[in-house]
Amino acid sequence: MPRSSPNIPRRGLSPNAIVTIVIVVVAVLVIGGVLLFNRSSQRDDEGGAGSGEIPAELRVQPDSNTLTTTPGNTVTLVEFLDFQCPACAAYYEHVTNAIETDYAGRITFVTRNFPIESHPLAQPAARVAEAAAKQGKYREMYHTLYDNYQDWAISEDGEQLSDDERRAATFFDRYATEIGLDLDRFRADRDSAAVQERIDADQAAGQQVGVTGTPTFFVNGKRFHPSSDQVTDVDKQLRTMLDEAM
Amino acid sequence: MAHGMTGEMAGDTTGGLTRATAWLYVVGGAIGLAGAGALILERLAVLADPDYVPTCSINPIISCGSVMDSAQAEAFGFPNPLIGVAAFAVVVTVGVARLAGFAPPYWFQLGMQVGTTFGVVFIHWLIATSLYSLHALCPYCMVVWVVTIPIFWYTTLDTLRAGERTRAFGERLARYHSTVLAAWYVVIIVLVLVEFWDYWSTLF
Repeated sequence: MPRSSPNIPRRGLSPNAIVTIVIVVVAVLVIGGVLLFNRSSQRDDEGGAGSGEIPAELRVQPDSNTLTTTPGNTVTLVEFLDFQCPACAAYYEHVTNAIETDYAGRITFVTRNFPIESHPLAQPAARVAEAAAKQGKYREMYHTLYDNYQDWAISEDGEQLSDDERRAATFFDRYATEIGLDLDRFRADRDSAAVQERIDADQAAGQQVGVTGTPTFFVNGKRFHPSSDQVTDVDKQLRTMLDEAM
Repeated sequence: MAHGMTGEMAGDTTGGLTRATAWLYVVGGAIGLAGAGALILERLAVLADPDYVPTCSINPIISCGSVMDSAQAEAFGFPNPLIGVAAFAVVVTVGVARLAGFAPPYWFQLGMQVGTTFGVVFIHWLIATSLYSLHALCPYCMVVWVVTIPIFWYTTLDTLRAGERTRAFGERLARYHSTVLAAWYVVIIVLVLVEFWDYWSTLF
């Protein structure tokens, strides 16, 4: 190529353009791939659940924690939850608390533990709820924990999720007393291996059916996918799904 | 065969890059100005009516309400977007002046460097705060993150190439200008995805 022509168009792409494109393409493929993979594995679970047999993980068991029950368990709503997850607290406030009341006696509402690692007090709170269950007061503790979410789950400056286990434990003891638990028994159960095993079993069950985040809902074994982030829409859609299952 | 031309070509690209930087100032500065302006308007709306829910508060994760209410939203004792409104207006002005033919002297370029460096450091502190302390993403704030990074990066390339002792290094970096920018964005996107993974996976 003659040296004298000053404005030769560059042949092909510059190394800069090539490397840039490679970075962008790799990022899109990896991120998109991970998201898609998540999605398709969830779809598969749905297919399995939809094909007649509801997996045991998504049915009510004799020892399940229930918020309300209906004879024959014709409609079973299963929620995998984490007591410290902000989204779960928002769902409680705007969706599930009202559903529990409005559908009382018409659905079986089962909650299962799915404490997420990044929430430091999720495990302690789950142990507290299960310890209350041992004295037949799961439902009361479930409500108390979510009703007082701001107190124990959020740090004192109100800006982040709390990781102060001792402060939370003080609150938990108070809640246990308030709902009428035998405090010594409550503390022993809370720290027992049996309670921890129950939580781990719930979590394993969740993983079995493709739960990766909380809250995740199943109605009669079918996974609920809200199509919007607005809690009011989620509420409407979940109610529609329950109504259709009746 | 293009070997003998690399110098010339680099000169060509980086010359184009200077003009591109001027356009980046105008467009990026205007977008940043809009983002900061929107944050101020939302804040005023909240002040006027404490029950007002900002338009960008969609759910617990995507929310500017919780971000605006935090102490970090007033890092210097007054709302952060006030800095944005003032600074992005300067960026737009400088961009327009450069497009009109203004060739900034070195001291002027250093001034831009100081300003954009402050901006980019501040923005990264805000990103870290948003991800790891507030656990919420504020859409208008993210608009500001997106434009501040290239404004800093292309200003830095300009400054390096304007200084006699840093010119060669600047030219070398400038040859990979968009690579650096793309990698920078990817790192931040990945950090956001990882931190809010529970949330993103519930969307799908």
